[in-house]
Amino acid sequence: MEIKYEPVLRVVDLWKSYEDLEVLKGVSFDLAEREVKVIFGPSGSGKSTLLRCINMLSPPDKGEVYLSGQNLIAPSVNINAIRARIGMVFQHFNLFAHLKAIDNVSLGLRRVKGLPKEEARVKALETLERVKMAKWADHYPAQLSGGQQQRVGIARALAMEPDVILFDEPTSALDPELIGEVLQVMLDIAKAGTTMVVVTHEMGFARAVASEMIFLDSGIILERGTPEHMLTSPKSGRVKFFLKQIDILYGRHEELIKLPDEDENK
Amino acid sequence: MIFQELPEQLQDFLRVLEYWDHILVGLTKTLWLYVWALLIGFFLGLLFSILRQYGGRILSRIATGYIELMRGTPLLVQLFLFYFLPFSLNALLEAQGLPFIPIGRWRFYVSTTIFNRTLTVVLLDHATLIGILTLGLNSAAYQAEYFRGAITSIGTGQLEAAQSLGMSRRAGIFHVVLPQALRRVIPAWSNEAAYLPKYTLVVFYIGVSELFAKAHYIISEIFLTLATYTIIALIFLVLITIISKLLDFIYKRTAIPGL
Repeated sequence: MEIKYEPVLRVVDLWKSYEDLEVLKGVSFDLAEREVKVIFGPSGSGKSTLLRCINMLSPPDKGEVYLSGQNLIAPSVNINAIRARIGMVFQHFNLFAHLKAIDNVSLGLRRVKGLPKEEARVKALETLERVKMAKWADHYPAQLSGGQQQRVGIARALAMEPDVILFDEPTSALDPELIGEVLQVMLDIAKAGTTMVVVTHEMGFARAVASEMIFLDSGIILERGTPEHMLTSPKSGRVKFFLKQIDILYGRHEELIKLPDEDENK
Repeated sequence: MIFQELPEQLQDFLRVLEYWDHILVGLTKTLWLYVWALLIGFFLGLLFSILRQYGGRILSRIATGYIELMRGTPLLVQLFLFYFLPFSLNALLEAQGLPFIPIGRWRFYVSTTIFNRTLTVVLLDHATLIGILTLGLNSAAYQAEYFRGAITSIGTGQLEAAQSLGMSRRAGIFHVVLPQALRRVIPAWSNEAAYLPKYTLVVFYIGVSELFAKAHYIISEIFLTLATYTIIALIFLVLITIISKLLDFIYKRTAIPGL
């Protein structure tokens, strides 16, 4: 018997260019409920643009995006109402600098969902608790570390109870010591069943929770598959080279260890 | 008499200060012009800065055009143009046999008596109205550019974050960008707040009796030029120092913790 399911998010043949530069050249994928999809690839491959096309911060030139079956490109669509159902976490956090952590989280609840002040506060505090930031609720963004700011950023998206959350390189602007706390929160919410699209180069995270990994290169999907497949036996040489670069960066690859040895033997 | 033993210069000052009722009326008028011009300039300037920054192709060009026009022409010329425009219109209307604008036939004023002297401040008549509007429209152009600078410095990231929560662009500008831009603009904007009291002097040329006009009147009565202008200068110095300190205080009070 065939099981029919409606994907939470369906991206069909997305094209986008900025002036002469073609950034996306026909990208398609489906995302089921509770699924975590990891998108990775070299700088300039269109990863961020893909996320921005999904929530129409940069409307695509061609192609379609469906959220639970609803076409977002249709002219009759109220894009503000749709965006309330698509969370986004930004590389540079983009917290509202003039608001305390708790008000960053409750602003959307009050202004978009129309919750009364007290109810929004309680809900915001609960959500901050989920990212282990309740203690810092009354701090302003500039008083928090990068990792703490990003956790507030995640809480801000999470509190809206969106159908899907898009993560745009959430840890790449962080000091190495602060990446762990953010990844831990992302793992927690992924395991709790949050539907996520994550642009990241954190392969450990991908291995732990991704149902599928997509390698984007020059605006096309070069290869896709399970973390198992992508991380151990990718077909494409481009993917292999890219993963090796990441390994070298994280000091796991022998080439990095070899260099000082050779120096010593001279 | 003590007065006769005082140095001559001090006696001059005291003679000027005998016209304290004129000085007080003039100062009140100057403040009146200033507050209205600053308020009109503030709200109109904020509107123009938002239109220029977010207004889309057409509105943004209109706002830019307005700002460049007002900043590119002398304030005094603008004042005379606005002042004489109704007269020219009247000439046209009269030629057509139409009812004309009653310039100079109306005024609103307040009057009070202190120490047996009657103080009368004209709050609004043709010249005062034109003065307030010209100063306000002119100040709006300068204030708009201060606001735009502050808005630009906030960056697009926070507005996008607001939009990603489902807020409209307008709500994002209102709840996220402006609260920060208005804080950040204060040091630069204090320039305009400190300039404007001094610019109000130009309305003397269309016959508004503010402080500078009163100085001319006092000089015509007692011919003490140096003492009179020194007192006028000191009044402005005190006024602008108070404005600067006040804005500094507001800036510190509204500062975002950690920033």
